[in-house]
Amino acid sequence: MTSLTMIARVTDGLPLAASVQEDEKSGRDLQHYQSQAKQLCRKLDAQSPERCTLEAGDMSFHYLIAQDVCYLFLCEASFAKRSAFAYLEDLRGEFNGRYGRRVAAVTRPYSFIEFDTYIQKTKKSFVDRRAPRNFGSINTELQDVQRIMVANIEEVLQRGESLSALDTKASNLTSLSKKYRSDAKYLNTRSTYAKVAAVSVFLITLIIYVRFWWL
Amino acid sequence: GGHYPSLPLGYQNAAPPLTQTLVPVPLSQPLGGPGPAQLSPSLAAMSLQSSTPEALRVVNLLQERNLLPPIPIPPPTPCLQQDLQKINCNPEVFRSTLTSIPQTQSLLNKAKMPLGLLLHPFKDLSQLPVVTSSTIVRCRSCRTYINPFVSFLDQRRWKCNLCYRVNDVPEEFMYNPVSRSYGEPHKRPEVQNATIEFIAPSEYMLRPPQPAVYLFHSSTCVFCQSLLDNIKLPGDSRTKIGFVTFDSTIHFYNLQEGLSQPQMLIVSDIDDIFLPTPDSLLVNLNECKELVQDLLKSLPTLFQKTMETQSALGSALQAAYKLLLPTGGRMSVFQTQLPNLGVGALQSREDPNQRASAKDVQHLSPATDFYKKLALDCSGQQVAVDLFLLSSQYCDLASLGCISRYSAGSVYYYPSYHHQHNPAQVECFQRDLKRYLTRKIGFEAVMRIRCSKGMSIHTFHGNFFVRSTDLLSLPNVNPDAGFAVQMSIEENLDDMQIVSFQAALLYTSSKGERRIRVHTLCLPVVNSLSDIFAGADVQAITGLLACMAVDRSATASLSDARDAMTNAAIDSLASYRQSVLSIQQPGLLAPACLRLFPLFILALLKQKAFRTGTSTRLDDRLFAMCQLKYQPLVYSMLMIHPALYRVDDLSDEGALNINERTVPQPRVLQLSVEKLSREAAFLMDAGTVMYLWVGRSCQPAFLTQVLGVSSYAAVPDNLHLLPELDTAESQRTRAFIGWLRDQRPFFPPLHVIRWVSFLGFIRSNMIEDRTESALSYYEFLLHLQQQISK
Repeated sequence: MTSLTMIARVTDGLPLAASVQEDEKSGRDLQHYQSQAKQLCRKLDAQSPERCTLEAGDMSFHYLIAQDVCYLFLCEASFAKRSAFAYLEDLRGEFNGRYGRRVAAVTRPYSFIEFDTYIQKTKKSFVDRRAPRNFGSINTELQDVQRIMVANIEEVLQRGESLSALDTKASNLTSLSKKYRSDAKYLNTRSTYAKVAAVSVFLITLIIYVRFWWL
Repeated sequence: GGHYPSLPLGYQNAAPPLTQTLVPVPLSQPLGGPGPAQLSPSLAAMSLQSSTPEALRVVNLLQERNLLPPIPIPPPTPCLQQDLQKINCNPEVFRSTLTSIPQTQSLLNKAKMPLGLLLHPFKDLSQLPVVTSSTIVRCRSCRTYINPFVSFLDQRRWKCNLCYRVNDVPEEFMYNPVSRSYGEPHKRPEVQNATIEFIAPSEYMLRPPQPAVYLFHSSTCVFCQSLLDNIKLPGDSRTKIGFVTFDSTIHFYNLQEGLSQPQMLIVSDIDDIFLPTPDSLLVNLNECKELVQDLLKSLPTLFQKTMETQSALGSALQAAYKLLLPTGGRMSVFQTQLPNLGVGALQSREDPNQRASAKDVQHLSPATDFYKKLALDCSGQQVAVDLFLLSSQYCDLASLGCISRYSAGSVYYYPSYHHQHNPAQVECFQRDLKRYLTRKIGFEAVMRIRCSKGMSIHTFHGNFFVRSTDLLSLPNVNPDAGFAVQMSIEENLDDMQIVSFQAALLYTSSKGERRIRVHTLCLPVVNSLSDIFAGADVQAITGLLACMAVDRSATASLSDARDAMTNAAIDSLASYRQSVLSIQQPGLLAPACLRLFPLFILALLKQKAFRTGTSTRLDDRLFAMCQLKYQPLVYSMLMIHPALYRVDDLSDEGALNINERTVPQPRVLQLSVEKLSREAAFLMDAGTVMYLWVGRSCQPAFLTQVLGVSSYAAVPDNLHLLPELDTAESQRTRAFIGWLRDQRPFFPPLHVIRWVSFLGFIRSNMIEDRTESALSYYEFLLHLQQQISK
């Protein structure tokens, strides 16, 4: 299965470790997802929810934030969320134990790239083997659905925000243009009245003049 | 304070005409100008035109016989202001054929010398400044890295020296971490060093840094012992290793952690290769070390049993490629015969009767493009293929060599390799393999060479694949690879006094760090032919001509290439005679800096790669061609024109004192029989191999005190190790040979040759003498003179 695991520091999005697995048969290009993953790590901060799943077409990003480190996992949307988070929990425990103290001090990207070996082994046991624990846990899954907020990745990457801003602007524009139309109509009618009034005043003056002068 | 002094003349681009002598300007500014400090008036008065008179001293080649300097020739110094030259790039790393660049293309054409650069970008350096910075300052338009030759207009703006665009200095760059001062960006290490390495931020990576992955691919077990001895390959805890062996079927080895012994999986369907198991064929070296060692110990016994004579190399390479596809890495292929089965099978094309043909040599191009296509696929997935050819039979190196040439690999060749009959070759192979396994390596690399506006690069030489116009794709980069490029001048360099060249190599180290190594070279621009000749670098020109000749042999023919080389000598000397020489004298005249040019051209014509009329095996010839294109210049020159020394009378006179060892410095001799004598012993240093020739009547003192034998007859045939005797002569000889060897990263083996092998030795190495098929040096000079006077 095609998947991407990335561990990054939350404060500045510096990548600390990563593991990429491309499945030849699926033919998916991971380049696009890798850059999204990097962008996502940069966007996250202390205010972001601790656990979240983001939809991106037919793939999903699952992430977990703990102790200023973000653990991100990209996989097919059909993969069970519970297993994804169990996998991320396992990674968190091991990574924190090994490198937790050094995270704040490093400056070089992928300083802990050696963690890749552990990531690959763990991935095998959680992801690649169809473990029986995936079945018969519908209850807990429902609970997870409640607990873990599901959002659209575009929103998080703030394209959503600008779309909604655009939406408000567009509706503003509609109402304003309606108002303009009514104002314009009103002005039009007023000027018509003014014209009619002017013409009628002129005609009346003419009639009075004719009446009193000629007769 | 913050006030910036006015720029020294070298930096202002509004230049006075170059032919004027620069007027000494009293430069009264505080210390710390941009780059070079104050110029003393005498230096400022140095006209760019008055190059050292020594370089232009007229030499009559027909009269002066002793042209070789006593010490190895140093590279010429560009005629730049001293302060610029002090920080200029090391010539061992970056070197130009002409150290004074012509102002226009027509001027270059008149000089009739090739213009190009020779690089050794990943050379092992003893001192390399490394910078970790969150911002790497680069020009906004041409993306050049900031370097010592940019100009600072004020504290906040800098002008690129390649495209002349003005850029802003970022805020972070104003702080200098080395001196912990603020406001002096020109003192930062990036602006003080022409060779520097950056730690790359994550924008420079398309994917997370790959681990070191090594795959050994073989039809023989010769590498097993060396690999066991050097099992700590460069890498970190992620390093992976795998093995594929083959004959008429392909064998994979399951090395999964937890197995009690390695499992061999045989795939016999060579027409449709598949991997028998998805993992465990490439395993983590640290975790499966015992299994790997078990496998290496049992492989030799495995191979002893097989009596196969078929070799399905093409299919095995495809299988190995599939294995390395997801990550990239290095494939080391050990081949002992012509592949004759499956895809990529080759025919024996060489006709032994044509080896000594004086006419054109056939079969210098590949017979099939299978290997080139596979190499390009490998290059796309960051896989490099190194080829070790150990065979006494014809193996069609012209076709097989493509697999390394386009995937940035290297070719090693050991003809007449036999583990019993040829211990010298075996030792050579073992030493080379040790260097190969332990040397530094870079993965998934790319290199770009940029030059000043007005110049452009049109041809590249070396082992790589050119992706887009100037990006070289190097799946592996190693410290023994050299590159060369040819340049042309597209627009006249009218207002420029200096031009710059920058080579930037982006790679992943074996420990997963992404780094960028940047080298910048600065050279002056001149507009007179005599200045161009004065700045000619004869060794670099020879090296570049050799690369061009190899290309010409493949595209046109060998005789075309030979004619082109001779014409290069004729044309440049004719141009010198017509345009630079003021007084016409009889004889063959050359400037002092080019006095060795005809000698080197003759050496090239007699080189294994290009010689005709002497029996040369096709594979030997092709390997020599590969080496000429691949090796860095200093080793190519030793290969083309070996250094000859007399060693039986070494003395401490003029000796160097290195590490409390006295290293004698004998004089370099000409390669002519008249310098040899039967009463002496001589050492010839040919770069990758050394020969010690013992004359028949050599003084007995040398025999006993250095070789440890009582008489000439007792000198053993296959001696390649000097005994460590306690005599002064032995110490001096070993110190000298050790000193020569220490200067290079690989280990050239030593062959001790007696009178019996003398004739073959002479014919191939004494360049200045006549043979049945080639002219002597003097005859060659006469031929040149005749052509020039036409």
